[in-house]
Amino acid sequence: MTGRLRVGVAGTGFIGETHLAAWTAEGIPAVVYDVDEARAAGLAARFGARPVTTLEALFDAVDVVDVCTPTHLHAGIAVAAARAGRHVVCEKPMARTLADAEAMVEAASAAGVRLLVGHVVRFFPEYVAARDAVLAGAIGDPAVLRLTRSSFRPRQPAGHWFFDHAKSGGIVLDLMIHDLDYARWVAGEVATVQCRSAGVERPEAGIDHAMAILTHESGAISHVSASWAYAPPTFHTAFEIAGSHGLIEHDSALTAPITPSLLSGTDAGGTTALADTSLNGDPFRLELAAFARSILDGTPTRTSARDALETLRVALAADESAHQGGRVVRLERTEAA
Amino acid sequence: MAGDERSVRIGVLSMEHVHAGAYVPLLAAMPGVDLAGIWDADPSRASSAAAGAGTTGFDSVGALLREVDGVVITAPNAEHRALVEEAASAGVHVLCEKPLATTVDDARAIVDACERAGVLLMTAFPSRWNPALRSLRSTIEAGGLGDVVCMEGVNTGAMPDLHAAWFVDPARSGGGAVTDHVVHLADLYRWMLGAEVVEVYAVANRILQERFDRVETGGLVSLRFANGAFATIDCSWSKPRSYPTWGGLSIDAIGTGGAIRVDAFRQRLAVYGTREAGISWPAWGPDADRGMLEEFVAAVRDRRQPAVSGLDGLRAVEIVDAAYRSIAAGEPVRLAPASA
Repeated sequence: MTGRLRVGVAGTGFIGETHLAAWTAEGIPAVVYDVDEARAAGLAARFGARPVTTLEALFDAVDVVDVCTPTHLHAGIAVAAARAGRHVVCEKPMARTLADAEAMVEAASAAGVRLLVGHVVRFFPEYVAARDAVLAGAIGDPAVLRLTRSSFRPRQPAGHWFFDHAKSGGIVLDLMIHDLDYARWVAGEVATVQCRSAGVERPEAGIDHAMAILTHESGAISHVSASWAYAPPTFHTAFEIAGSHGLIEHDSALTAPITPSLLSGTDAGGTTALADTSLNGDPFRLELAAFARSILDGTPTRTSARDALETLRVALAADESAHQGGRVVRLERTEAA
Repeated sequence: MAGDERSVRIGVLSMEHVHAGAYVPLLAAMPGVDLAGIWDADPSRASSAAAGAGTTGFDSVGALLREVDGVVITAPNAEHRALVEEAASAGVHVLCEKPLATTVDDARAIVDACERAGVLLMTAFPSRWNPALRSLRSTIEAGGLGDVVCMEGVNTGAMPDLHAAWFVDPARSGGGAVTDHVVHLADLYRWMLGAEVVEVYAVANRILQERFDRVETGGLVSLRFANGAFATIDCSWSKPRSYPTWGGLSIDAIGTGGAIRVDAFRQRLAVYGTREAGISWPAWGPDADRGMLEEFVAAVRDRRQPAVSGLDGLRAVEIVDAAYRSIAAGEPVRLAPASA
């Protein structure tokens, strides 16, 4: 059924490759777009995809454009794709600015196309199971959440867009946003955000570690931390959801079913680390397959464009707080959310 | 010290704090210590605790103070001040349970009373004797973490009303989870960073523990230090009654040289008993209380300042006070520069 869709992956970086692998595994034919012909051709060749170097060629070839470019370029491609009548899948963060995100929502709405944002944590089985337990009443009302995501500084060269705050939004928009979104998904809308970031306060340190404290409209409070301070190949996630009559704990270090200790080494040397998902089904595949189904038959997804926009609003508030020395930022939510 | 020196005579004022139950047997068995007696507001509680430890129960604070060199004060938080002042005026050295007091004024009065009387004052921060935390501090001191940029700490536990009702009576405890748990990590951070707290942001709620509402049960705190470092604390009473242990304390220390995680109570067993007994996690790691009590006894014996001072206790109370003001204001609160 999903075979009727044709998808174009825009961007050939880390997440572009991850998505392309997932689309290919789902049997969905893909086109790879990059302005750099060699990069487009190189990645496309590895997955039997077709490379294109112009947006016109991309839009002509596909039904869905999957935006995996650097963050600051999301909106331009997404809006153009929507105006060309193409559905849009977009990697998180949805956009670099709220204005960009709103333009994307408006363009998709005006064109009558879908806009689906890749908050992939909503497809990670441990996070889904914990939320299901909360919804089933296992711990009562959420009270105190603690969400942690720790890895190493992306191994990219100096000058890479990732390290340019104006383009990427730094650790808060790139990494912490996963757990900001999850905090909203579990404990509801956010009222205030306070955040401090080592990368902002100590830019010369060469590491980053950001810690945010959220208050939710429900009365719950959340501590969210995101780190690029650990040694490679660390990728560690943990969460604790404490409720009115119970507690849920998860720690990826304690739930890894396979612990290799290979004499050949366990650091694959990648630029960025991902959670090990080899046994539970790849969350990227689950996410993109769900998006494809939704586009084809309207099946509801776990995240709407409006939802992603609200998460971006929280992340931008956290980033603003971090840049103002931990000032408390109050969220002003639109009624439509 | 030479074995022929007379023992240091120690008294215990009040069995109402759960920690007294741990301190008394340690003191009773400690070489060079004469556990001279136990006073409690409830004479029957004093006599039964004394009988269990092979010592004497007292129904008069003054009578016990005449028999000792030092006292361990383990009364409810709000009652510390009166007992410390009485001990100090009797010339008796003091180890006071944390938090030193429920208000900055009381904590300041406790420090002043001991200074005026010329008696030693130590605040009971046993985590400073936890070997894993001591190792972290040594690593930081030796530069093993580079410049420490921030710390992420968790000191969560069960609601302590299962030990004693006064813990959740704000008139006697001073408050809930913020009062109970912020002081440990605040003190550890000051000790490891060698810097004072200059700004406090805190949020709290009353949803945990079946929406228990007499005191706050959930709390998150963010601290800024004078040297530019920052740190957070989860102080919540978030462990439900079914949890296999009382709680725990951990720190993720982040520096320019990487990160170190310390889980101070990780050394434990998992024991699966009958359905009624459930699952428990008894600790087998070293007992930090012992090291703390040995330090107090040694300081009294040698007439020297203990490794943790009354001022350390006062600073922690100032941080708790600022946390409550921040909770009320919804904004960060600046701390006045340390005045002593």
